[in-house]
Amino acid sequence: MATKKRKSVAASLATATCSLLGNAATEPVQAQEEPGWDFNTALLYYDEGDGRVQDISFNVLANRTFVDDRSLSLTFVFDSLTGATPVGAVPFSGPQTLTRASGGSTYNVPANEIPLDDTFLDTRYALAVNWQQPLGRLYSLNAGLSSSFEYDYTHIGANVELSRDFNQRNTTVSLGLAIANDDMDPEGGAPIPFAPMLDVGDLSNKAGDESKDVVDVKIGVTQVINRNFLVQLNYSFSDSSGYLNDPYKILSLVDAVTGDPIPRTPAPGAEGPLHEYAFEHRPDSRTKHSLYGQGKYYMSGKVLDLSYRFMTDDWGIDSHTLDLHFRWPVGESSYFEPHLRFYTQSHADFYRVSLVDGVPLPTYASADYRLGEFDALTVGLKYGWKLASGNEMSARIEFYNQEGDAPRNQLIGNQLTREMYPDMDAIIAQFSYRFGK
Amino acid sequence: MQSLHNSVIASENDYLVRKSGAGRTSQFSRKSDYWQGLFHAMGCPCELLVETDDESMAERLLDLVSSEAWRVEDKFSRYLPDNIVAKINNSDGAEIEVDDETADLLDFATTLHQLSDGMFDSSSGVLREVWKFDGSDNVPSPEQITSILCRVGWQKLDWNRPCLRLRPGMQIDLGGLGKEYAVDRAASQVAEATDASCLVNFGGDLIAVGSRAKHAGWQVGIEALDEGTQRAERLIRLKQGGLATSGDARRFLQKDGVRYGHILNPVSGWPIESSARSITVAADTCTQAGMLATLAMLGGRAAEAFLDEQNVSYWCLR
Amino acid sequence: MRGLAKTLFLSQLLIFALAGCNSMGVEPWERDVLAKEEMQLTVDPVEAGLDDHIYFSKEASSGGRGFGGGGCGCN
Repeated sequence: MATKKRKSVAASLATATCSLLGNAATEPVQAQEEPGWDFNTALLYYDEGDGRVQDISFNVLANRTFVDDRSLSLTFVFDSLTGATPVGAVPFSGPQTLTRASGGSTYNVPANEIPLDDTFLDTRYALAVNWQQPLGRLYSLNAGLSSSFEYDYTHIGANVELSRDFNQRNTTVSLGLAIANDDMDPEGGAPIPFAPMLDVGDLSNKAGDESKDVVDVKIGVTQVINRNFLVQLNYSFSDSSGYLNDPYKILSLVDAVTGDPIPRTPAPGAEGPLHEYAFEHRPDSRTKHSLYGQGKYYMSGKVLDLSYRFMTDDWGIDSHTLDLHFRWPVGESSYFEPHLRFYTQSHADFYRVSLVDGVPLPTYASADYRLGEFDALTVGLKYGWKLASGNEMSARIEFYNQEGDAPRNQLIGNQLTREMYPDMDAIIAQFSYRFGK
Repeated sequence: MQSLHNSVIASENDYLVRKSGAGRTSQFSRKSDYWQGLFHAMGCPCELLVETDDESMAERLLDLVSSEAWRVEDKFSRYLPDNIVAKINNSDGAEIEVDDETADLLDFATTLHQLSDGMFDSSSGVLREVWKFDGSDNVPSPEQITSILCRVGWQKLDWNRPCLRLRPGMQIDLGGLGKEYAVDRAASQVAEATDASCLVNFGGDLIAVGSRAKHAGWQVGIEALDEGTQRAERLIRLKQGGLATSGDARRFLQKDGVRYGHILNPVSGWPIESSARSITVAADTCTQAGMLATLAMLGGRAAEAFLDEQNVSYWCLR
Repeated sequence: MRGLAKTLFLSQLLIFALAGCNSMGVEPWERDVLAKEEMQLTVDPVEAGLDDHIYFSKEASSGGRGFGGGGCGCN
């Protein structure tokens, strides 16, 4: 009863005003906020500690609305990466020497440490543009272009998405398509899969630049459940083909009994690896399917945001992601937002701890820890506040922990006594400032 | 709220000062592609913008609008000693017969009282006797408020069109709807006289009529809440219809860190809690816009929720 | 393959179930809460993009909510 009454205030007022002014019919009002620019900027710091990857990222998203609900957005990202990353070789009780991916020099790894390669200093620029507009009363179109540039990697892509509303805009169905072409030109050239790591200056194990193509399709439904509850469900399909190897990742060749790396002697007068290593070899295609569900629930000012994603692909990887945000307002103009994320993935079919001497080479193999079996946990807290000017600031700090295991049935000899999988602990810190109009 | 195409003090070179009866003046000047008429009425700066090349037509419209504004002011202002409102407020319990226009406004005020569950109350003006919003900390005592509440309550009126009987001690104040009403009345006269695109603006309550030929509507700015900044907080493009603002940007009391806005709850006698600092609403007429803004303001914390339910465009500053 | 079939079946079921829910939802005047910024599916697109990028670089999964803004040579 109350809802019905509240609804008719405007209608009753219109009737009463009509009587008062004696107007037969008034023209409907046409008033719109003048379009303007809206900026969302963020500075991010990411640090894995222990000499591993550090990243500083600066982001700007500029959005301009035009009349009739059309808008243009421009995104600019600048990343500066430093630090070392596990290269895929196994640790063992003695020191190791490896040739850098560039083929230009060697680096040493102390005994009992997981080998890390820090050739990996990089600066990345990314630029994306997006256009959104309604098509008629019920349809909406979103189209965009994306690009990113690093000294050894270039990405360009295009995306388009069409949405339609149903049931008084309570249901929205959308269909999206994205295509991308990524070009890799690593220092020294992209390695030939399974080619051995060679002495400094010998680039016969490298080919030229390589590329890959990606096609993404997404079907989604958004549904309003009630005044306080909204859900979304997406199904995505992704197909990558081309050079899918990581040009900097290798595998150790190990003894079939001890599990220790096989020694190697560099050519006379040359510097080179002191054990045998081979570059990884992944399939040249990958098909992924994802199912993603998200719910947002409003509880007297607090908002619960829970999402779950299931991913499965033809590399044998299955993953589950559970992501929880809880916004807790403080006073009229600030909030806390704790964040919890659980992630788990199984290892790729071709994930190998190492290549075993004497055993026939598998079709594909990679020791990249990111294709291994691991669990990850993110715990974070964000604090946001509105300034007197209406602009917003926020700061968040998060801890990201990855812990995995090498498949026990792949471990040989001394490997069983060692920590074979590179666990990781990273800090994520971010400061944001939104302003505009 | 000001139209951005002008400043209240005309500073262009070619202006004419015109006199119109009783010492009231109006100024008339040419802007880029429209005429601007300025005058003072109902305690605020008023303007008329007319998009036309026809100077004499624009002057006639200015006369129409300013006359209507002064007419409404003279008839319904609570500051004048001998108009119908004064007669009613000095009636001391006697029955007063009112004309059609006054009766229409009383009916409207009654409808608003009902629609707002008693929160919009044109008899609540007497609360002004204990609440003086001068930026000081003179907050009245609960005893003062209780005693004055006896003299507040639109439901206590004996209103049988066309006869009104007010209880002794009670007062009516049509200030809450007078300005918007005047804007709409002036605008309908303008619309009858011409098709040209016009903007009638009485101190921030305004309406656009006709169709603006060259541009897509009038550019109207909502003033920022920070004192002294000329920069408009928000810009609205108005092609048609009314805009009205309800706000406490300038009138308030401050005591013990609590800001008391000047919108009073006529049932409790106290200022509305958690009221927005400024609410601007767009609606078909200035009256509807003004009433929705006031009703939203009276809703305190629920202002935005109320306006969302009414499905109108609004801008709320807290 | 088994995983794929399971995914497809589940998603088809849920999508059609939801799309067919004509009775669920709110009237236009009940959208006040849903209009709040904190109730949008992606509240902060910049932060979402940063997180997506971090997890894409460190894990084998990506996307779900939307399209990636682009690849990278991140290791």
